[in-house]
Amino acid sequence: MAVIEAKNVSKVYNPDKIPVRAVDDLSLKIEEGEFTAVVGPSGCGKTTLLNMIGGLDHPTDGRVTVGGEAIDQLTEAQLTDFRMHNIGFVFQSYNLIPVLTAKENVEFILLLQHVPKQQREDRAMELLRKMGLEEQADRRPSELSGGQQQRVAVARALASKPKFILADEPTANLDSHSTEALLDLMAKMNQEEKVTFIFSTHDQRVIEKARRIVTLEDGRILKDESR
Amino acid sequence: MIFSLAWRNVWRSRKRSLVVIGAMIVGVWSLIFIISFYNSFYVGFSNNGVQYEYSHLQIHHPDYLTDPNINWRVQDLDQVSARLERMESVAASSYRQKIPGMIASAKTSAGVEIYGVDTEQEAATTLLSTLVVDGAYFEGITRNPILVSRKIANKLKLKIRSKVVLTFQDLDQEITAASFRVAGIFESKSPRINEGVVYVRQSDSERLIGGNGIHEVAILLDDAEDMDEVKHALVGVTPSTVRTYRDIAPEFSLMEQSSATTQRTLTVIIMLALLFGIVNTMLMAVLERTREIGMLRSIGMHRGKVFRMILVETLTLGAIAGPVGLALGYITVQWLGERGLDLSRYSEALQEYGYDAIFYPEIENLTYFGLMITVLITAFVGSIYPAIKAIRINPLEALRKL
Repeated sequence: MAVIEAKNVSKVYNPDKIPVRAVDDLSLKIEEGEFTAVVGPSGCGKTTLLNMIGGLDHPTDGRVTVGGEAIDQLTEAQLTDFRMHNIGFVFQSYNLIPVLTAKENVEFILLLQHVPKQQREDRAMELLRKMGLEEQADRRPSELSGGQQQRVAVARALASKPKFILADEPTANLDSHSTEALLDLMAKMNQEEKVTFIFSTHDQRVIEKARRIVTLEDGRILKDESR
Repeated sequence: MIFSLAWRNVWRSRKRSLVVIGAMIVGVWSLIFIISFYNSFYVGFSNNGVQYEYSHLQIHHPDYLTDPNINWRVQDLDQVSARLERMESVAASSYRQKIPGMIASAKTSAGVEIYGVDTEQEAATTLLSTLVVDGAYFEGITRNPILVSRKIANKLKLKIRSKVVLTFQDLDQEITAASFRVAGIFESKSPRINEGVVYVRQSDSERLIGGNGIHEVAILLDDAEDMDEVKHALVGVTPSTVRTYRDIAPEFSLMEQSSATTQRTLTVIIMLALLFGIVNTMLMAVLERTREIGMLRSIGMHRGKVFRMILVETLTLGAIAGPVGLALGYITVQWLGERGLDLSRYSEALQEYGYDAIFYPEIENLTYFGLMITVLITAFVGSIYPAIKAIRINPLEALRKL
């Protein structure tokens, strides 16, 4: 069953001045449990596509549905709720809250969902344990390495058991050892938590781990290969 | 966790938060000091007016107010006296004869108001007996003693036991004169009394004007709060005019109003200054965290929660600064309230306006509460613009900055 479906989606920036067609009549289905990499050169539309799938941006044309729900029809508040309950985000620069500990960062999204304290703590510790960060639970981001911070970010993205995780260049700031460790963990989470992962990346190591690779060029799908 | 997050965010930029908290503390402290100082001005002026000149209430014949003639005597005096004796809130009263006249020494003369007083009543009602700085309060002279102010004594070149002649009209409109000897020289806090009032015994003034009518009843209360109640009670007893010291001297009400207006104006100015400081600080905090707020919005934090987070952070600043500023203000007021603020270097000028040289700052407890609320309201208002900025952050644009 398709978790995400983008149908004839286009995104044009500056339509009235100098139009830039970031995504051009693109159609894509992502099935549940996929571990997909969206690849392509800079400016090919990877991030724009992920933003539209993630409900952060609206397509100029076409439709994006998640779990059968057309997200471009949702209001601002509904989209916020939609993101909170359905999507986990992993950012290139980790984007942890610097004044919260690793555990509190993971708990934060559960707090937004009004999950009881004990359940929040249990879930946060469970994920940190899986990420190998149990001992760093009470440390703040500034006390963690880049790799550890990104693992906390993945734990945070997984905390609310989202339908899928969108990761925009998750390994761009990591060394090869940390990249390897992070990818192994994400692959493990993909298996264990049955969470769909979609990456945008340039990183060959990520591409090698992906089970499906969607290659974009000029806002269109150039190649879509599964392995 | 929102509160915990807000608290930690406040201390994220420790120096900046401490600066704004410090500014708020200084603002609150200085406001308390200024308000208490203004209060001491007003209270001192008001107390001096009551203790040395007007008492809390006065009764006069209605016509006496427009034509201070000795024929206009307080009506139904026995009923007034009986009513006053029954009232527990009345601490003392003085029944005075007031006669316009002239005082003359061997050197010169001056126009004065001659107060014929029962010496015991007057001592209980005003602080006249304590103001004698030379000689004694109606003692040492057996026949026709008189008390004059230092100012009149200097003008007429008078000393203790100096002879003066008082000239005035008696009840038959005849000019009469009598010689008196200075028993005491006083220095009142009232410029008007220093300028032109002399005190003689009522038995002497009655004998000289040829009658025993009373022109003024001055009433001192235990508590000024009872003033209106006593006034209303007396209005039913006599057709004479009963007035509070505020009715008699509108400058008290004027001063109270201007003091309140000044205090309010200063509060607004100081709070406005704090408001700009708060807005500036919080705006910087929001702009610095654009990416973070964008991330929070993208992972599902609603605008309302972002608004609340900024609001709580700002209120936290106020909640820290307010009580500290109030506590410092309270300590300062208590300390100065006990010891007094000595402005004796300006005592001459202050005396001209009826003030003491030492001020005792005081402030009502309710004012502290009001100021705390004002600080929190200021913090709340100061949070609105930065919070609006925060909720207007577009998560997508914020993420593009990553």
